[in-house]
Amino acid sequence: MHLNDPHLKRLTPPKLTLAEKWYLPQIADGLGVTAKHMAGVVFRNKVFTMEYPEEQHVPSPNYRGVHRLNKDEQGRVKCVACMLCATACPAHCIDIVGATAPETWPDREKYCESFVIDELRCIYCGMCEEACPVEAIELTGFYDLTGLSREQMIFDKAKLLSVFDATKDAEPMRFSLPPQPAAASTPEQRTSETG
Amino acid sequence: MATIIINGEEHTLPEGEKLNAIQLALRVGVDIPYYCWHPALSVVANCRMCEIEVGSKDPKTGEIKMIPNKLVPACQTPAKDMTVLVTNSPKVKAHQRMVMEYLLINHPLDCPVCDQAGECGLQDYSYEYGQAIHRFVEERNVNPRKDVSDLIQLNQDRCIMCTRCVRFTREITQTGELQVMRRGSHAEIDIFPGHPVDNPLAGNVVDLCPVGALLDKDFLHKQRVWFLSKHDSLCTRCSTGCNVSAEENRGALWRFKPRFNPHVNDYWICDEGRASYKTANDLALLAAMYVRQDGDLRLVPIDQALNAAGRGLARAAESGGTIAGVMSPFLTVEEAYLMASYLKGLSPASVLALGPVPTRGEDLTIQPDQHKGRTGDTSFIVARPFTIRAEKCPNRRGVEAVLEHFQGEVIGFDDLLRRAKAGEFQALYIVSDAIDPWIGEAEARELRDKVEFLVMQDTQVTTLAELADVVLAGATFAEKAGCYVNADGRLQYAEAALPPRDGSLPDLDLLAILLGRGRGPVHSRDILAELAQMVPAFAVAEGGKIPAFGIVLEQPEPVGPGVPFADPWTQPRGLKGDRPGETSPKGSRNA
Ligand code: SF4
Ligand code: SF4
Ligand code: SF4
Repeated sequence: MHLNDPHLKRLTPPKLTLAEKWYLPQIADGLGVTAKHMAGVVFRNKVFTMEYPEEQHVPSPNYRGVHRLNKDEQGRVKCVACMLCATACPAHCIDIVGATAPETWPDREKYCESFVIDELRCIYCGMCEEACPVEAIELTGFYDLTGLSREQMIFDKAKLLSVFDATKDAEPMRFSLPPQPAAASTPEQRTSETG
Repeated sequence: MATIIINGEEHTLPEGEKLNAIQLALRVGVDIPYYCWHPALSVVANCRMCEIEVGSKDPKTGEIKMIPNKLVPACQTPAKDMTVLVTNSPKVKAHQRMVMEYLLINHPLDCPVCDQAGECGLQDYSYEYGQAIHRFVEERNVNPRKDVSDLIQLNQDRCIMCTRCVRFTREITQTGELQVMRRGSHAEIDIFPGHPVDNPLAGNVVDLCPVGALLDKDFLHKQRVWFLSKHDSLCTRCSTGCNVSAEENRGALWRFKPRFNPHVNDYWICDEGRASYKTANDLALLAAMYVRQDGDLRLVPIDQALNAAGRGLARAAESGGTIAGVMSPFLTVEEAYLMASYLKGLSPASVLALGPVPTRGEDLTIQPDQHKGRTGDTSFIVARPFTIRAEKCPNRRGVEAVLEHFQGEVIGFDDLLRRAKAGEFQALYIVSDAIDPWIGEAEARELRDKVEFLVMQDTQVTTLAELADVVLAGATFAEKAGCYVNADGRLQYAEAALPPRDGSLPDLDLLAILLGRGRGPVHSRDILAELAQMVPAFAVAEGGKIPAFGIVLEQPEPVGPGVPFADPWTQPRGLKGDRPGETSPKGSRNA
């Protein structure tokens, strides 16, 4: 986008009032919140922290953690090596080598021979799962990702598939079912299919 | 002055050219979508995508009469004086939407696995002229994919029956391997059993196919086209010097595609040239510089190797010995010029020779006829021959022109070899960059024994390199920028497509350092400008500027910028045009 683009909206930040410039009211506000929480812990036993790792945190369903490569019903990798995820990825951390699908997969034309994600470079934005046309890549709720070296954090295809095996029961594939005929005619779905 | 009216605007017709409405509209920046039309093939008007409203204006009364109720294919409409074209009326747009829906009836919509995605006529025109809904609910035709040759795969379900491929094999190569089998929605492109598409230009059907039906098996499923950066390069596999686009990603070349040049290769390249990109990716290329110390070749940093070469050659010159230089026909004219200046500067008695010129077979000319063998309307075609030369190097004529300037004669390699074996030379500096082996082992050893100091500059690990005193790693065709003179004497510029390999430097830089020219990389354009000033044979390249289609050395009158052509779907979108003052990609491809 160029600076002269007519679609560009120009905004100026609002001017600060005298009280805001002074900052002290805001600091007092903040301290008020802290005091409220302290009072909650002391008088009403309302705790906000948890005893990790004895107690496990379950993230919200749309939490974006480590990737997994989904498998189809026959246990083959779903990815068709279209490289749309690698194209969408703003961190350029996905590396895919595509190849012609083996003869024994008559319904498939192409698959990924190698699929590598650098989990350290990834910013967990979820653009890859958004881009994928076959729902082959998904971000799981798996968050305690550790390793002893950089190399260990570069996940290859086998590892990404194993993340699928480890998480598939807790988090079923989001789009594993074909769209229901009745649902398919709602205007929202139609546009998402054809557009 | 002949004028044509397109969408209410008057445009002047170019003189002396017979154009159809699509061509003319493209030149003035109006897009008329098409699939089956191609400037080198006869017009069959079977895709119906280019239909527009056509009429004429009465020159006296100024009254405009349109052909009533009917759209006309633009590919069949000559751009004549007082013709009126309407390309954007609601009627035309509705028609385009309808044609797109028909073409996609049986299309599998498998863009994610299709190699054409990103340069596909169906994708681009669906977006621009099509619609997002599809009313066809019956089952689609499913056609298995098949091979039409060892190099080409056909995914029949993606085909839109434009018959460009069929017309190419009938009209250009005149081998007729491909045809349409059966009719209606059962129509298929196929070969006769046991007669695959095998002619020297076969690969061009892949480029012609506007969709992903015909695919190059060498490139199949390897890359997505939007990752590739295109470099305007030249094929160095024969002395025709076909214009190609060398397409690179992640430091490797993935394919060659032809670029249109009416004076050289028209729209085509040969299959051998198409496959020749592979030598640039060879992992066994020379990847370091070496100097012989105590009888052994030692790996040394680039500057030390260059110092050793420079010192050795200078010592030979000072001690009164003769230096011989071998300039291979794979060098660019700029490199040849620097090398000649360097050796003649060391000692005016230095002998310069042309390296071995590889030849194989005989020149093969494919000569399409204006009318013979063609089926449709041929009136807009300019039939041009395509020649594959026996001389398998890009720049014999350019190096010869430099040699003639510096020593008045061209000494052949055999001549030099004979003189070297007679012990005439004290030092020998060979720059090869050749692709195939050109000297036998015994001969290499004999040559080695007759010279005191041998510098070998090459891209391959050869016997001669193993015997040399200094080995310099030069650039492959893909790693160097510079100009070549083809068999017709046309000077053409090739861009570098790859950065120099680790451990090597482009030959031009190596020579510039030997010559002691400043620091930092030299630019081929500056050297060419200098060459044009110093060597009268190259005077046409004044200022280092060469027009897009090249320029003939002995024929200095300007040929004019010419009209580039490429199918719109092969053009990258959105690269140009978002900067103010720059024309849109649609306008710019037909400058
Ligand atoms: S989550 Fe974002 S940064 Fe990470 S791999 Fe996906 S697209 Fe790239
Ligand atoms: S977008 Fe999906 S199908 Fe395409 S390469 Fe990525 S994971 Fe594979
Ligand atoms: S294979 Fe390609 S070029 Fe040949 S008719 Fe089909 S779409 Fe046209």
